[in-house]
Amino acid sequence: MRKLPAIIRYEFKLMAANKAFVILTILGPFLILAITVLPGLLSMNPKALSGGEPIAIAASSGAGAQGEAAALYAAFESAMSSQGRGVEPLPLDDEAIADAKRRVGSGKLAALVVMPAGWADSGATLYTKTGTDAMLYGTVERVVDAFARESRIARSGVDPDLARSLVRSVDLSIVKLSAGDREEAGGEGAFVQTLFTAMSFVMLVYMTTLLYGQMIGRSVVTEKTSKTVEIMLSSVSPRELMFGKILGLGLAGLLQYGVWVSLALVLSKLLMPLLGMAAPSAIAPGNLAWLVVFFVLAFFLYASLYAALGAAAEDEQHLGQLAWPVLVFLIVPLVMISSFVSNPDSPLSVGLSLFPMTSPIVMLIRVLIATPPAWQLTTCIGVLVVSVYGAAAAAAKIFRVGILMGGKRASFGEMVKWLRVR
Amino acid sequence: MLSVDKVVKTYETVRAVDGLSFEARPGEIFGLIGPNGAGKSTTIRMIMNVIAPDEGTIRFDGKAFSEAMKERIGYLPEERGLNRKVKVIDTLVYLGVLKGLDPADARRRAESWLERFELSDWKGEKVEALSKGMAQKVQFIGSVVHDPDLVLFDEPFSGLDPVSQDTLLDAVLELKAAGKTVLFSTHVMEQAERLCDRILLVRKGRELVSGPLAGLKSSYGSNSVQIEFDGDGSFIAGLPCVDGVRTMPRWIEASLADGHGSDELFSALSGKVRVRRFQLMEPSLHALFVSLVESSADAGSGDADEEAAHA
Repeated sequence: MRKLPAIIRYEFKLMAANKAFVILTILGPFLILAITVLPGLLSMNPKALSGGEPIAIAASSGAGAQGEAAALYAAFESAMSSQGRGVEPLPLDDEAIADAKRRVGSGKLAALVVMPAGWADSGATLYTKTGTDAMLYGTVERVVDAFARESRIARSGVDPDLARSLVRSVDLSIVKLSAGDREEAGGEGAFVQTLFTAMSFVMLVYMTTLLYGQMIGRSVVTEKTSKTVEIMLSSVSPRELMFGKILGLGLAGLLQYGVWVSLALVLSKLLMPLLGMAAPSAIAPGNLAWLVVFFVLAFFLYASLYAALGAAAEDEQHLGQLAWPVLVFLIVPLVMISSFVSNPDSPLSVGLSLFPMTSPIVMLIRVLIATPPAWQLTTCIGVLVVSVYGAAAAAAKIFRVGILMGGKRASFGEMVKWLRVR
Repeated sequence: MLSVDKVVKTYETVRAVDGLSFEARPGEIFGLIGPNGAGKSTTIRMIMNVIAPDEGTIRFDGKAFSEAMKERIGYLPEERGLNRKVKVIDTLVYLGVLKGLDPADARRRAESWLERFELSDWKGEKVEALSKGMAQKVQFIGSVVHDPDLVLFDEPFSGLDPVSQDTLLDAVLELKAAGKTVLFSTHVMEQAERLCDRILLVRKGRELVSGPLAGLKSSYGSNSVQIEFDGDGSFIAGLPCVDGVRTMPRWIEASLADGHGSDELFSALSGKVRVRRFQLMEPSLHALFVSLVESSADAGSGDADEEAAHA
C-alpha cells in the first residue's frame, strides 16, 4: 500500500479537474439555496403550489336566510385566498353547471362545488379533475361544514353564542420531544419544513452517491477495456489501485460537500437573517454534520459496490445491466420516505436504518426527524464501515480475477466464484 | 534473466499459448516473433502477471513473480492506453512514481526522455492532443522512465514513422548496451532482423524454432553468394566449390557446393576478376518463417492423417 497516496492524489486531481464536477460544485449551493428558501417562498406565494385556478360555486339562492349566498361566497373567497385561488359564483342551472364541469375537465377551473336547495341536510357535491387534491378538498369541507353548522344553529332557534361555545373545537398544540428532554415548538409549519429539509438532504445524498458510484464504475470499466489497467497493474497491486480510486474520488466528493455545507452555513447564519428570513431549524450545524457523515458512508459503500460491478462488467452497457439490483436498494428508501418520516421508530424504519445498503439514507431521515437511540446509530455506522471495507476488498478481488479471466462475460454467480479464487 | 518454462494458456476453447519455453538474458535483445494471434501478447501478459498461466512457470532471476519485482520491470503493452485527459508530463511522473521513483526524480527523467524524443514542446499538453505516434513514444518513455532491469515491449514499432522507429531503435539498443534484458514481440520480420540477438518463432501458440538469429539463418539458409565484378567471370561456374550460377544483368548469384565455404570462393576469385561486391546471401527471416510454416503444415496434416487412421 506504499503507492496508495500517489494513486489517491492522481484520482483526486483527475476528478477535481473534471468540468462536470466543477459545475456541480458551483451549482450545488444554488440547489441548497433553492431548498432552503423554496418552502418559505411557497408559503408566501401559494399560487406556485396550487396553480391558482379559481373554483366555481353554484349554490341555491334560497338555501336559508337572506344574504346567505353572498356570505357563502365571501367565506369561500377568504378560505381559498390562502391557496391563491379565486371564487366564481355560478347560477344553479343545468346549463351553467354543465359548462363549469367542462371547464373543470379542461383544467380551467380547479373545482366546481354544487350546493342544491337543502344542501345542508341533503349534501353538496365537489367536482374536481383529479380527486386527489387533499388541500382543496379539506378547505371546501371546512367552509361547507362551518356554514351548514351556522345555518342549522340559526334555524334551531338556540342562542347562537351558546351553540357556538358548545361546538367549539379544542386547540391542539404540537410539541416535539426528543430523548434529551429538549422541547421544540412543533406544528404543521415545522413539520413541513423538516420534511422538506429531510427530502432535500436525502435527494442530495442519493444523487451524489449515484453520480459518484456510476462514475467510479465507468472509470473501472474504461480502464479495463482501454487496457490502461495493464500498465497500472504492471506497477501496483489491484487492491492499491481499487482503494486509491475509491479514496481519491471520495476525497473529491468530500471537498464538494465541504463547499456546500460551508455555504449553507454562511447562508443560514448570515444571509437569511439579513433578508429577514428565519433559517429552517433543520439546517442546523448538527444536522449538516450528519449529512456529511452519511454521505461519506453511503458514498464509500456504493462506490465500492459500483467498482466491483465495473470490474466484472465487459463494457458500460453490461455495467448498466449488472447495476440494477444495487440501484433498487438506493431507490427503496426514497420511495418509502413518507413512511420513515411519519414513523421514524417503527420496526421497518429501524430495520432498514441498520441494513447497510439502505441505512445511510434511512438513518439520515431518522436523525433529522427524531433522535434514534445511540446504540442504533453506533450499530448503523459500525455495520456500514465493515461493509465498506468488505465491498472494497471484494471489488479488488473481482477486478483482479476479472482481468485474469479476460474476455469472459461474468454473471453474479461467477462473480461470487471469483471471490473464492485463492 | 527471465526464464519462461512450458507455459500454457487456454481461452475458452482456444489454446493461445501451448507449452512455450525460452530464456531472455541481460545485455541481449530477445525477439518473440510470429504472425498476429500467435500468442505473443498472451505470453508477455503472463510474464507481467496480468493474466495467470494455466500451466508452467515464469521466473525472473530465479524467483517467482512478486509485487516488489514490478519496480524492476518496464512494460509497453500492445494496446496503448493512457488517460487522454492528463498532461503528458503528469502522466509520465505518475507512471514513474508508481514504479517507486520520487516525484522530482521522475520529472527529471521524464523531461530528459521527452527531450530525446523531441517531445519537449508537448510536455504541457494533454495526451489527447498527441498524434498516435507521439502517444506511443510517450508510452515507451513511461515503460523505461524508472530504468528497469527487464523491459517487455509488445509491438513497440507499430504505427511509427521511419524516423521515430530509428529513435526508438537506438533507445532499445542503448538498453541492451546498458546490460538490460530486453524482450520484444513483433510480427514484422524486418524489425526482428535488425534488432534481435536471439529469437523464438511462434505460430498458433507453439514454438516453430528458437535460437540465436545468426545461427538459425545459416542452418536454415540456402548458401548462395552474390558477386558483382569487372572482368570475365565465366570460370566461376566451373569452380569445384560452386554448384551452379545464375547470371543477372549486373551480377551473378553462385550457390556454394555442400561442404564448401564462401571464403574458398572468394580466394578463387582474387586476381582473376575485380570484385566490387561479394555478399553472402542469407535467407530473410521472412523466407525462413514461411518455409518453416510450410514444413510444419505438412507435418501437421500428416498428424491429422494419422489421427484419422487411428479413428
